[in-house]
Amino acid sequence: MRRLPFDYAARNLGRSPLRLSISVVGSVLVVVLAISAYAFVRGMDRSLVGSGSPNNVILLGAGSEESIERSEISTSVASQVQATIPGLKSQAGQAYVSPEVHAALAVSIEKDAEPIGQAVFRGVTPAAFSVHPQVRMIEGRTPQTGADELLVGQLASARLGLSGDRLAVGQQLWIDDRPFTIVGRFAAPNTVMNAEVWVPLTSIQTLTRREGISCVVLTLGDAEFADVDLFVKSRVDLELAAIMETEYYDQLSAFYQPVKMMVWITALLIGAGGLLGGLNTMYAAFASRIREVGTLQSLGYSRRAIVISFLQESLLAAATGAVLGSLISLALLDGISIRFSMGAFGLLVDAPTIGFGIAIGLLLGVIGSIPPALRCLRLPIAEALKAN
Amino acid sequence: MAMIECRQLSKTYRKGASIIKPLDSLDLDVEQGSFLALMGPSGSGKTTLLNLIAGIDQPTSGSLTIAGQNIAALSRSKLASWRAKHVGYVFQLYNLVPVLTAYENVELPMLLHPLSRKQRHERVGTALSLVGLADRHDHYPRQLSGGQEQRVAIARAIVTDPQIIVADEPTGDLDKPSAHAVMSLLVRLNQELGKTLIMVTHDAATAEHAGLTLHLDKGQLVEQSVTAAFSGETATTHADEGGDA
Ligand SMILES: Nc1ncnc2c1ncn2[C@@H]1O[C@H](COP(=O)(O)OP(=O)(O)OP(=O)(O)O)[C@@H](O)[C@H]1O
Ligand SMILES: [Mg+2]
Repeated sequence: MRRLPFDYAARNLGRSPLRLSISVVGSVLVVVLAISAYAFVRGMDRSLVGSGSPNNVILLGAGSEESIERSEISTSVASQVQATIPGLKSQAGQAYVSPEVHAALAVSIEKDAEPIGQAVFRGVTPAAFSVHPQVRMIEGRTPQTGADELLVGQLASARLGLSGDRLAVGQQLWIDDRPFTIVGRFAAPNTVMNAEVWVPLTSIQTLTRREGISCVVLTLGDAEFADVDLFVKSRVDLELAAIMETEYYDQLSAFYQPVKMMVWITALLIGAGGLLGGLNTMYAAFASRIREVGTLQSLGYSRRAIVISFLQESLLAAATGAVLGSLISLALLDGISIRFSMGAFGLLVDAPTIGFGIAIGLLLGVIGSIPPALRCLRLPIAEALKAN
Repeated sequence: MAMIECRQLSKTYRKGASIIKPLDSLDLDVEQGSFLALMGPSGSGKTTLLNLIAGIDQPTSGSLTIAGQNIAALSRSKLASWRAKHVGYVFQLYNLVPVLTAYENVELPMLLHPLSRKQRHERVGTALSLVGLADRHDHYPRQLSGGQEQRVAIARAIVTDPQIIVADEPTGDLDKPSAHAVMSLLVRLNQELGKTLIMVTHDAATAEHAGLTLHLDKGQLVEQSVTAAFSGETATTHADEGGDA
């Protein structure tokens, strides 16, 4: 089959500047939309999946396997685990066993002021930095045991809707009318911890008037999950459950499935609206060329050659829109943080996301042009030649 | 054997209960190298017949043999490549592609043939010179007059060197001088290049250029007249034998 020259397709785009702009802008919108949706879902997934380390096991209260925040276990579990389970990872005599309190607490920025929102707090001991290697100090120092001092994650300000300056080292936050001083900042990219506020374990216990802890996170060395599980089963009195950290966050990710579905459905509906609009302009554009299409066929061009040319034309507009949409997405979306109950996460605008957006844009170019092209070719040549 | 042989050629359209027969059991032979004019009242089936001969429409019944091939039996895609090789079509409204230059319009049918860019360039140049528009290669249709557009369209129809040229009221939209230029061009194609030419016209004076004029009415041939200037019959009709009442 012989093709029509590419120039024909390219110049056809210039026939109506208005239609060209509608096609390109439509494609830009759809691509930005697709990239946003995908960046959201991937950003959320990444923060949850990245939060778990493959060698970590969480010990929490039996029956609270879905939510660490609801779990309550004895503070002594940490030392018992350390004493009983052999083969846990350790360094310089310090075992990788981290007792933690997880709690969402209301935060005020001034004394006696209304809270501005809730942040996810994690009460920790120095062992937390061992079992969570994703956490890296970027400024200041770690809090002193027992002191009313705080460490803030990179996205904590986003979670609280505050400017980054407000959570700079040296600033104070009020929790339950007690002032806490920010002494350091940490980064834990692509994990839920990135939006958390870390406090010394004993401080948060005092603050929340609790004796126990939420969980113990430990890192397996030579030991295996079965060893930890055996401990849990042999110490029924402690009422513990053991779960791999990765599995815990996978569950959490599944829990947010409906949110992700909503995002997709919204994107799909808007995209479908865009597609219908695009189809409309294409129908109009191709319908005005019925006689020309009849002429091309009378010269000997096949219907397929004409469909391909129209497809090229549409794809050219869609690709222009896709490139523009990708650049706009990179400029506008990258680095944007989204708050959600687990904290906050950053939109993930990377090569796969952009690739996805471009693919959707091009797909739209195809879907948007084939039906109008076929419709334009529906008439027998003799009738097409009489059009207009 | 005649170049074009129509036997019991019919075209029927059915719309609900009513049946329209633009062509009714038509028999016609057209010899190679002849120049045939088709006349007749509006709706008599002239365009329909022309379209069948040009292979852009297919008969409901009957056979249509062109250069020994029954094109009524060809599939749609075979017919498309047949058109590219055997016919050039000249339309009343020129039908040039507005986004292509005169050069590119003429080149368009040649892209369907296995020719090098250089070969194409030569032939497009020759065709545009033949129609007197060698200096208009880069002009777009909107930059040309109607007469010039029609001459570009003629160049497009002949550039692939088809044996048959069909023209549907080629001067119907032109003023006298332009019409005259177009007609003398068509006559040259017939006389100098030996193209078999079939032209529909409403104008008796225009039909004078043809060697033979056939009159159609209600899808049937009713009359033929040989132009005095031409000697010998180049087309014969079998209308009298085949007439079923
Ligand atoms: N697609 C179609 N469906 C139904 N009827 C048709 C169709 N195409 C043509 N006809 C009918 O066939 C008849 C012949 O049409 P045709 O175009 O061949 O006439 P014509 O001789 O070229 O007329 P004109 O001089 O006005 O161009 C007309 O009555 C027309 O209405
Ligand atoms: Mg007609």
